[in-house]
Amino acid sequence: MFFRTLRAERMKLRHSPVWLAFLILPVIPAVMGTFNYLQNIDILQDQWYSMWTQHTLFTCYFFLPATIGVYCSYLCRLEHTNHNWNAVMTAPVPVSAVYLAKLTAASVMVLLTQIWIGVLFVLSGKIFGMSAPVPPELAEWLLYGAVGGIVICALQLCISLVIRSFAVPVGIALIGGVAGLAAVAKGCGVWFPYSLLSLGMRANHPGGPLQCGTGQFFLNSLFYLAVCIAFAVLWLKKRDVVAG
Amino acid sequence: MKEAIALEFYKTRRRRIWVIVAAMIFVQMLWSMWGVGRMDAHDLAEGWMFFLYKLPLLNSIMMPVIAAVVASRLCDIEHKGQTLKLLNTVMPAGRLFAAKFICGALYLLAAVLLQIAVMVVTGCAAGFEGNPPLGKLLLYLLFTMAATLTILLLQQVLSLLFANQMISLSVGLVGGLAGLFTMFFPQGLERLLLWGYYGVLMLVGMDWDAGTRIMDLHYTPVDWAGFFMLAVLFCALYMIGRTLFVRKEM
Repeated sequence: MFFRTLRAERMKLRHSPVWLAFLILPVIPAVMGTFNYLQNIDILQDQWYSMWTQHTLFTCYFFLPATIGVYCSYLCRLEHTNHNWNAVMTAPVPVSAVYLAKLTAASVMVLLTQIWIGVLFVLSGKIFGMSAPVPPELAEWLLYGAVGGIVICALQLCISLVIRSFAVPVGIALIGGVAGLAAVAKGCGVWFPYSLLSLGMRANHPGGPLQCGTGQFFLNSLFYLAVCIAFAVLWLKKRDVVAG
Repeated sequence: MKEAIALEFYKTRRRRIWVIVAAMIFVQMLWSMWGVGRMDAHDLAEGWMFFLYKLPLLNSIMMPVIAAVVASRLCDIEHKGQTLKLLNTVMPAGRLFAAKFICGALYLLAAVLLQIAVMVVTGCAAGFEGNPPLGKLLLYLLFTMAATLTILLLQQVLSLLFANQMISLSVGLVGGLAGLFTMFFPQGLERLLLWGYYGVLMLVGMDWDAGTRIMDLHYTPVDWAGFFMLAVLFCALYMIGRTLFVRKEM
């Protein structure tokens, strides 16, 4: 049943330009981050590691959470408009499958974005003649970042389920991203869902191990995922839909 | 026209647009105050300049998204309710366009005024050296509003032309990101991007001494050429956007 819901989700998204934002967004920090790195090469001496901070810092805190917010808003808007909730809720499909299909669609987009960020990073380094080999941790940064991104997807989907507006959840995601910066600065980033993306990607600390410990990172990510899924399922089961 | 503006506020009376604007300004203020809390005597002497340097940076990250959210909230109601056809029969499309813009502009004006009020109160409470620089604060209001309103205008045009609000919000996000990055580049590049004007019209510059690790701030001459360019851009965007909206099939 889940796979059929997922297929339905894919059909709804067909020919929609949503992927464009995820394609364009990482290109800007890649181009400008590389340029900035080359301009300040006397201060930024850690080659690949210094360039990684330039590529990811602003994106992780301010822009990727908000872009995920846009995507999740779009996924829910499909149901909020045209009285679609009536059709969705009367279909012989468990509500958990509806939410999980949307979460999977958003997660796939996050994974593809992470791969794209990785490709742009390696390309930038190679084009500008970085002599050291590509850091072996790159795959780990991207994978952990994807885990953090999926947590934000789950949370944003819940917010977009409750708030029928398109723009408000995006604003909340931006505030979440900025607050995430403060949470990381205070050392409690691992407890704040919007910080998990930047923590996972080691946006401001690429050299060493995960600041919060791998176990804690995955445990907290799982906890937030479970809470969001439980909330969404309960919300869809207990609340009467507003279709309009 | 007054009636049209009043109607815009009436339509949005329970949409609580001000909440998201206030929340974002609150986050901005928390961030700035966090910086003030760690100031030493040297920093306190440059306190007013610190605000006038830091806030345009924050604005370039957040204001494009605030403008996108406000514009989308104001325009999306017409798409959702399919009311543009009806509205067209009772008022000229150009007036609706202007009313929506003025309504959004008032929200953002309130936001920037709030920023300045918090700046003054925090500065006086923290004991910044000297009185608040009223002239500079007025220029800050003028320049911040000029950049924000031009971005709001672009967002409104996109939100009205495309029913899919994802397009306008994505443009807001990508623009904000590009604007932030251009701040670290030579000025010529900033002028090419609408979102870079928070940086072009900044009133304070920074000298960073890598040896002593001391940051020195100083007032820079006002870039009136940049302001003029932005004004021209605003007028062109208004005329093009309005024409596109008026000619659009509702």
